[in-house]
Amino acid sequence: MTGTRTAAGKWVPSTALKILLCIFWLFAIILPLIRMLSTMATVNVANIITSARFLRALGHSLAVTAVATIISVGIAGLLAWCVSRTNLKHKAFLNTILTIPMLIPSISHGMGLIIVLGANGWISRIIGLNSGIYGFWGIVIGSVMYSFPVAYLMIYDVLHYEDGTPYEAANVMGLSVKDKFFAIALPYLRKPLISVIFATFTMVITDYGVPLMVGGKYITLPVMMYQDVIGMLDFGKGSVIGMILLIPAVIACIIDMANRDKGNANFVGKPYYVKINKVRDHIARAICIIMIILILLPIGSFAVLGFIKKYPIDMTLSVQNIEQAVHMGALKYLGNSLLIAVVVAVLGTALALFNAYMTARNKTKLSYVLHLMSITSLAIPGLVLGLSYVMFFKKSPIYGTFAILFLVNSMHFFASPYLMAYNTFGKINENLEDVGSTIGISKWGIIKDVILPQSSGTILEMMGYFFVNSMMTISAVSFLASVSDKPLALMITQFEGQMQLECAAFVSLIILAVNILLKVILYAAKRGFSKIN
Amino acid sequence: MDKLEIRNLTKSFGHSEVLHDISFTVRDGEFLSILGPSGCGKTTILRILIGLEDAESGTILKDGVDITKVPSAKRRMGIVFQNYALFENMTVLKNVQYALVKSASTKDTFDKEKALEKAKEMLELVGLSEHLDKKPRQLSGGQQQRVAIARTLALNPDVILFDEPMSALDVDTRLSLRSELKELQKRFGTTMIYITHDQEEAFAMSDRIMVMEAGDIHQIDTPQNIVDHPADDYVKKFVINNINTKINSLIQFARTEGQDS
Repeated sequence: MTGTRTAAGKWVPSTALKILLCIFWLFAIILPLIRMLSTMATVNVANIITSARFLRALGHSLAVTAVATIISVGIAGLLAWCVSRTNLKHKAFLNTILTIPMLIPSISHGMGLIIVLGANGWISRIIGLNSGIYGFWGIVIGSVMYSFPVAYLMIYDVLHYEDGTPYEAANVMGLSVKDKFFAIALPYLRKPLISVIFATFTMVITDYGVPLMVGGKYITLPVMMYQDVIGMLDFGKGSVIGMILLIPAVIACIIDMANRDKGNANFVGKPYYVKINKVRDHIARAICIIMIILILLPIGSFAVLGFIKKYPIDMTLSVQNIEQAVHMGALKYLGNSLLIAVVVAVLGTALALFNAYMTARNKTKLSYVLHLMSITSLAIPGLVLGLSYVMFFKKSPIYGTFAILFLVNSMHFFASPYLMAYNTFGKINENLEDVGSTIGISKWGIIKDVILPQSSGTILEMMGYFFVNSMMTISAVSFLASVSDKPLALMITQFEGQMQLECAAFVSLIILAVNILLKVILYAAKRGFSKIN
Repeated sequence: MDKLEIRNLTKSFGHSEVLHDISFTVRDGEFLSILGPSGCGKTTILRILIGLEDAESGTILKDGVDITKVPSAKRRMGIVFQNYALFENMTVLKNVQYALVKSASTKDTFDKEKALEKAKEMLELVGLSEHLDKKPRQLSGGQQQRVAIARTLALNPDVILFDEPMSALDVDTRLSLRSELKELQKRFGTTMIYITHDQEEAFAMSDRIMVMEAGDIHQIDTPQNIVDHPADDYVKKFVINNINTKINSLIQFARTEGQDS
């Protein structure tokens, strides 16, 4: 290959851009990660991972995560079946309600649980549960609350797009329900289910919000990491735990990639036909209603708690907590959060689109490298990314400014929106750029006038994903935020430390409200776009 | 007069050479089919001719001028793809109008209004006047391909290249589109190079056929001469036998139909 511009004119600019992106990834993900891992050379790893405290935390983490994952995937599977394999009405509405928990930070789930089932929880008082739900079961329930919507969405998608023809063939052949389950459903679901299980496992084991809130003395690895780094500034120990937390995420990522590549043989299928069965529908409806109540109970409780003077001593309604939160800077921090969320939504989406264009529509060997680099963030838990950034960027000018928060959130949440764009771009007619270049329209012209307009729905979803997650994240940012640029969600950890549950409840409520509002705006914008197109 | 003269083209992907020293000419105003099985290099020739890919060596002359290093848009050629490559977010009319306004490859420049008139005129020619405000996905495959043809013709290129434009269409649509395409060619006098792996299609439409296999040209001649004097065994097998089989099955079909009624 020569370096000059050829008649086909493809090589020079796109390869240069790809190299530039690879260098970016090197500095944004790979080098910080290496920096963190290299710290282990300076500490006695063997001592740390054989210490009683570490082993106890590891045992706790594995125990709660295993149990929570089983329950979470079980509930998610049951609900996905209830919605996708029945004739229930308002399925879009059900999907919305069932995924509301995805709009608040994990720590808020822990808080909701305390309000309902804590030592002074209102249900605890009714049923006489005096000691409250701290420790193992508290973490399990909180983690399930926080992780099952993600598992639900994944399983629902799989069931929703399952080809119905094998079932129709089986019906004609007269196979029993049992046979159909083992011969068709299970083989089909096996691979996606493995992905779901690993994704859920990773999500739960790396979360520190729930165990910090309801764990009590039951310390898990992420909580230990948080305490060691934030409380004792022990970066070495933090790095070792970070490396351990990387393991399940890396495994999940590899399994997911292996599954994804093979599972893409999209032949033309027929949607699953749901037969008429009133009894089945009634049961499914009952299950959905019970689950919705269970989901809304803690969320509704902290919505009320935010307006109560001092639970459970003084139950009068008041705006005192709001005043208190505002006094402590809630409005300023809300402003910070909105700024971060908006900037990350715009920059993250732009970067993801750019990256996806280079990997999905300009395929070379370098694209594959770039693709792998773009999805590495899938395998890096927020706490680990945050710690890596602290160590790598400490002496850089962006440290302690908003810039590092923009960057860390864009990277932390990059993989999912990137994959959305990658899939959408991959499906758009492959010859558009060629047509453009034969009639004299530049690549950028085709991108701007044809490809981006065709992807408007995806772009809105990507922005929504970045926004919502930036609003509620407490993991990566917890190591990086300073007093002046702290996002709102971190006030919850602060209030938790000061035992001001009511204020924390109010802050969670603001985050929920902002995220719901954003979802509504996105929904309206999408409808607007689909009308234009 | 030769419209195009191709001299000694070679091209490899990695270690495998897909075109071995190919030379041929295309006459002004002719309809030339390139016929061969998939993977024989016919699409690669097309992409090199229009400048979407570079040859390793060889020269392309158009009207006697070397265009080997000229960018696609300046070659005054158009291409129609199998998958239409329409702008899905624009209406049928907008597809053609947009190409006219943005194009850097026509002699004339088009402002929006002039382009609109021209687009309407071209779409009427391909029988789509009633579908101007529809989106491509609301049209049948044959109609979408007509939009693509209108969009290409509107820019008034000297040569139009077709990359298996009908292989995604059903038999009836193919038959009608074939004759329409020939009509359009007569009307505009445009030189057309048409890639296909369908022997029948090549014989029905072409002034000359170029038979290819694995990066080599076996024969380039009129349909009549290919039938009468096939150059080698490959041409006999791939072209003549296939045609005979098709004709035989048609005769068989006609006979059984005749008996039924």
